[in-house]
Amino acid sequence: MVENNNNRQMLKVTRLQKSFGDREILKDVSFSVKAGETLGIIGPSGCGKSTILKLLCNLIDPDGGEIYKYSDDISLVFQGSALLNSLTVKENLALALRNKNYTKKEQDEIIQDKLNLVGLGKFANSYPAQLSGGQQKRTSFARAIVIDPKIIFYDEPTTGLDPILSTVIEDYILTLSDKLHAASIVVTHQQSTWSRTTDRLILLHAGTIKWEGSPAEALKSEDPYMKQFAMCSRDGPMQVG
Amino acid sequence: MTSLKAKSVNFFFLPVNQLERKLVSILGSIGQVTIIYFYTLKFIFQGRIDLQEIFKQSYSIGVKSFFVVSITALFTGFAMSLQISRELVLFGADTSIGGVVSLALIREIGPITAGVMVAGRVGSSIAAELTTMMITEQIDALKIMKIDPVEYLVVPRYMAGILMMPILSIYAMAVGLIAGIIVAQVAANVAPATFLDSVQQTILDRDFEVHFLKSFINATIIIIFSCNIGLHTRGGAEDVGIATTRAVVWSMTGIFIANYIVTALTYVPR
Repeated sequence: MVENNNNRQMLKVTRLQKSFGDREILKDVSFSVKAGETLGIIGPSGCGKSTILKLLCNLIDPDGGEIYKYSDDISLVFQGSALLNSLTVKENLALALRNKNYTKKEQDEIIQDKLNLVGLGKFANSYPAQLSGGQQKRTSFARAIVIDPKIIFYDEPTTGLDPILSTVIEDYILTLSDKLHAASIVVTHQQSTWSRTTDRLILLHAGTIKWEGSPAEALKSEDPYMKQFAMCSRDGPMQVG
Repeated sequence: MTSLKAKSVNFFFLPVNQLERKLVSILGSIGQVTIIYFYTLKFIFQGRIDLQEIFKQSYSIGVKSFFVVSITALFTGFAMSLQISRELVLFGADTSIGGVVSLALIREIGPITAGVMVAGRVGSSIAAELTTMMITEQIDALKIMKIDPVEYLVVPRYMAGILMMPILSIYAMAVGLIAGIIVAQVAANVAPATFLDSVQQTILDRDFEVHFLKSFINATIIIIFSCNIGLHTRGGAEDVGIATTRAVVWSMTGIFIANYIVTALTYVPR
């Protein structure tokens, strides 16, 4: 559902529910994100973080609840980059602009600008297979921002990356948040990522939100769920199934 | 005792349950194929076609298949012509070899040979490519960019398939015919001119129409079945192999069934 942006709230989710077969993934999840704000969704593996992103991107349908998006310009940075292997870096970005009414020259300028922003200006004609994992990730970033989205989602943006590259990616998230002033959601379980890039956090477990607050509060929280997650402890209410 | 009874009841109903599941699965697949085909035609009639991509796919589906189709058609032509020559020579009907060989080639062997080879080479490749794209979230990326996967992936492949398959089929028939001429000369001492004269007297325009109809149907079966399997497979690397096998098996099965139906519906005694 798309409505006009009046109160700068870009995304609102109420009482979201989703099951796969008998398995209830999301029971009752509600949150909202404002323009320029970055919300972190954290939680142990299998808690439904990525399912929320798929629901927000209309890739799957919810069983219950409402999703209000105040803009149609949404993008997702995939965990595995999800670049089309048969296309060059430039063609991958051009795909996102396919439905926009740009001339070839305008399109080329936009693409080059975004590639320069992620430091891949010289790789426009390379194929994804010719790029390193980090470069593919950055291309995925460039593809996501090429349409200047108003809402941007990041699915585990730093999982599997070395600490230096993780920092680079986190810096990109911060830069993009400033430049685009978009509402962002970062799904992650990497502490450095959620502590550096987000303004607000929700901790998800067993299909419900167990804790909500700022990253600074999260690190000091006495809430048993948040404390266990922040301390990376195996002792606590969240048990590995 | 109760559990034993329950087990026997389950055992009794097991084949019924399995049959039910299989039936539901087949009906589901038929539904998926119908929907994909409907949307493919819708995009084509709306003119939402990418000519550059069609050209690229035509090269991949058609041009790259010429070698395998040549080899298969050549040896099928050799074997068939050898059998027919020997039998007809026994009855003193060696001047009819060309007619019988060409009739078999244009009606059945040409479309079937091209269809089977394209199903093996192209159907498997499409299923593997699209399944990999599903698994690596490339299809999800397309959807988020508001690009319909059927429009972007299925339409160019389908257009390329229906353009290239008749060419491959007629080419398979021509290669088979050349093989027939060689064998008829060597095995039955029938001159190429006699062979070709017999071909000319036997083949009618209607045979070409049926030939092209079969080619069109074969292309539709291969491309739509393979794309459907690719776009509905989830999982991991193992599932790419399973999808590939399913695409080839279902495409070939479909080709043979459709071939019989078209033959039965279009057969008119001479």
